[in-house]
Amino acid sequence: MEDLIKRLIQEKIAREAEAKTRRHFIKSCAQGMGGLALSSIFMGCDPLEKPKAKNTIAFSERDLNPLATLAPPFAPKVKSVIYLHMAGAPSQLEMFDYKPELQKYHGQDCPQSLLEGRKFAFIKGTPKLMGPQAEFKQEGESGNWVSNFMPHFKKVVDEVAFLKAVHTDQFNHGPAQLFMHTGSARLGRPSIGAWATYGLGSPNQNLPGFVVLTSGGNTPDAGKSVWGSGFLPSVYQGVQCRSKGDPVLYIEDPDGMTRDLKKSTIDAINKINKEEYAKYADPEILARINQYEMAYRMQIAVPEVMNINNEPENVQQMYGVEPGKESFANNCLLARKLVEDGVRFVQLFDWGWDTHGNIREGSIDLGLRNKCGEIDRPIAALILDLKQRGLLDETLIVWGGEFGRTPMQENRGNKKMAYKGRDHHGDAFTMWMAGGGIKKGVSHGKTDDIGFSGIEGRVSVHDIHATILHLLGFDHEQFTYEFQGRHFRLTDVEGELIKEILA
Amino acid sequence: MDVLKQVLGRLHPLIVHLPIGFIILGLLLLWYDRKRKEYTKVIPLVYLWGGISAALACITGYLQYLGEGYAFDTVKWHLWSGIATALFSFLMYAKLKGIQQIDFLNKVPTLVLSVLFFLLISFTGHQGGNITHGEDYLVEPLPNHIKSALGFETFEEKAIVLNEENWEDAPIYDDVIKPILNNNCVSCHGQKKTKGELQLHNPEVILKGGENGEIIVVNDPENSELYTRLVLPKDDEDHMPPKEKRQPTPEETELIKAWLSIGNPFEGTIGELGMEKELFLSFFPKKHDADHPDIQISAAAQDTIMNIKNKGFHVEHISKASHFLEVSCINKPSFVDSDFEILMPITEQIAILDLGGTQITDAIFEKLATLPNLTILKLDATAITGKNIELLTSLEHLKSINLTGSNLEEIYLQSFTEFKKLEIAYVFGTKVEGEGVRTLKDGQITIDYGNYELPPLPSDSIIY
Repeated sequence: MEDLIKRLIQEKIAREAEAKTRRHFIKSCAQGMGGLALSSIFMGCDPLEKPKAKNTIAFSERDLNPLATLAPPFAPKVKSVIYLHMAGAPSQLEMFDYKPELQKYHGQDCPQSLLEGRKFAFIKGTPKLMGPQAEFKQEGESGNWVSNFMPHFKKVVDEVAFLKAVHTDQFNHGPAQLFMHTGSARLGRPSIGAWATYGLGSPNQNLPGFVVLTSGGNTPDAGKSVWGSGFLPSVYQGVQCRSKGDPVLYIEDPDGMTRDLKKSTIDAINKINKEEYAKYADPEILARINQYEMAYRMQIAVPEVMNINNEPENVQQMYGVEPGKESFANNCLLARKLVEDGVRFVQLFDWGWDTHGNIREGSIDLGLRNKCGEIDRPIAALILDLKQRGLLDETLIVWGGEFGRTPMQENRGNKKMAYKGRDHHGDAFTMWMAGGGIKKGVSHGKTDDIGFSGIEGRVSVHDIHATILHLLGFDHEQFTYEFQGRHFRLTDVEGELIKEILA
Repeated sequence: MDVLKQVLGRLHPLIVHLPIGFIILGLLLLWYDRKRKEYTKVIPLVYLWGGISAALACITGYLQYLGEGYAFDTVKWHLWSGIATALFSFLMYAKLKGIQQIDFLNKVPTLVLSVLFFLLISFTGHQGGNITHGEDYLVEPLPNHIKSALGFETFEEKAIVLNEENWEDAPIYDDVIKPILNNNCVSCHGQKKTKGELQLHNPEVILKGGENGEIIVVNDPENSELYTRLVLPKDDEDHMPPKEKRQPTPEETELIKAWLSIGNPFEGTIGELGMEKELFLSFFPKKHDADHPDIQISAAAQDTIMNIKNKGFHVEHISKASHFLEVSCINKPSFVDSDFEILMPITEQIAILDLGGTQITDAIFEKLATLPNLTILKLDATAITGKNIELLTSLEHLKSINLTGSNLEEIYLQSFTEFKKLEIAYVFGTKVEGEGVRTLKDGQITIDYGNYELPPLPSDSIIY
């Protein structure tokens, strides 16, 4: 304990020292700072040149513009990531993990050996096994299995690498989503997108580096922490944009306010902020100055990039977009546009995949099929569209949920349910990746005959994170941030590269 | 008090250099002055100061030993030899001053004493250096053969080098198994150290086994400790190598297993033994497929890069380990052909260039041809038609061209076969018609025409 306090005090002293050197610098060229135009602050030219002349400690470009790009430690395979998260956990057994054996045991009691010592979210007593509720076929040259719930997907099946035996140790949505996106089931860690933008910045100065789009009528159970910045500076958190109405709330100037007026307002605010900064040397003030500037530029750029109506008719049709509505298809098209414009990390959440069988929408044979219908075409379109624009080679697409679903039919309260459903299951589920650096048309990992557990090529959530970071040019073991006296990693103390799916 | 101990103690490394200086000066003067006798009065004084400063060094040294938590064993030689040095210095002073009370000194010639003294101070200083810098500090940069000649431990990693052509001819033991054992095991199980009475550096000792007997059951890796120990969980006490030591790769472990299962032959090549190629693929040289040429170039000056950035370009190193640059006009859609001049100072470093969405014309090709290391080129959403694109055929490394959404015309596609390293060209959304992918030059070049479609399916409109 005493040790910990000592370390904390050291960290405080270190931070103060950091701030002080800046303060000295500020004093020595306060005049120069005062006269700086906002635009030049953002470009980082003047402040970067002055210190050299005066031989004082320089501002890093990062202090002035936290999203300024940084070179990754290793040559990256991809520049951007599009992460498609099916919130609620899609059933691998009806989409990609074909288990004909499970059909043979359909309706039989689940063997006790599988149930002993296990916790399920809702299953009580002895549930019955339930065979696949979809028809499967081997598709493409790779011959990977795809169900008839995803008829368009077969066109892109040779582009993706399946992970058939992913496992997680969480079986409730919130913690499992947090785990999937921050590497920890508890609050407080930065999300993958935050790590990526912290480590690499983002090239487009007019758009945020990390954009989040949601669909399906709800946001993920874990709340905004799944795209949060945790202990990283807050500027690296995901910016949630809406695909319906104004993409960002209050992005339009109110009636009667001209853009010039807005500009002078921001200038005035930033002038005060700069005086404040000169006094207290708190780097968060610099970040704030930049946020105002960024917001001002976003006012033009965001509505432009978020407008799917400008896309040609055939492209809109390919994705199956519904302009004016909030839909996964719209978000997929937006994701392509954002990546095309240099956004580093695009996170899509689609809500409504929690198929317990308690209601029609949550049934494995009906509701799930509709949900699959909502994502099937857009995902195939996204892959093909990125491909024809030469962007698939430099973009990573990740698809998955927070866990999978049981091979047993759910029997909530030990009763027969109104519809067919499956409970939460973290032991084995399917995810896939596609894009730059990913082997095309492979399937890694295998589950047992009934799809309960992985028997070959099991990969953990940390392994997936390690692989994503690798493709972005990082060694996940070296990519750390010091906080409260210790170095933190996205993969904590675990994670191994999934080499089998790397090209 | 503790603080004082530490502060004074930390002055030790400073103060020790005073006696060293004085004593060496004294020795040099002594040798120089042997015949001349010009400095007879000065030399004793030098030794007096040498003794006083050595005593101070002893005191601070002792405080440092107390204050910094050294073990006595670590410092004992240095401590005693330091005290001896101080005493010796006073003795030299006494002898040279001719103090009669210690007449046994007069029987030993001064020259002998001075040589002894030189050895003593060298030894003391060296011991001190060993404590602060570590014992192998001096020898560490030496080449391995000199190190081992000096009796220091060396670790020489033997690389496993196989490739597409020679893998079948490689002797399995000498080229594969021996290096694996050498790199992962021999530092503890070899000639110098023989933990568990086991050695693994040559066939005889491998077959002999260790204190628990043989480690190989012929043709049965699952019962051979040489393999089973490797695949125990890392936390298992019997896991080898110990978990804090370097671990063999999964491929190396797999090879040990495969080798044991064919009767651990020490002779014969991979081909003769009929082992599968898959086992060895991970030792083949990695193909270079980064987005820049596989050559070394000089770095662009930071100021130069900053200048270009300040003109609105996005410029970034491809990686921290590379001098190659990626340049993009993502924030500079106003870029026109003549702006290319700004990039002139970094022509050698540009490997990725993105002029997508800018105001360039076909005149740009002449300039692009001056980028010797250009690997990835994006000219999408521009007005270029492709006229003069053949100028780019001189580029040795150009791998990918993105022309989507430009005004590219069909006739200019012909020159693509002339490109040396071109792998892919994207021509979707141009005046070129077509769909899907086609290949040129026996599949070396892929042209992606795009225009992919997802025809409507009857199931599209069904709501279940």
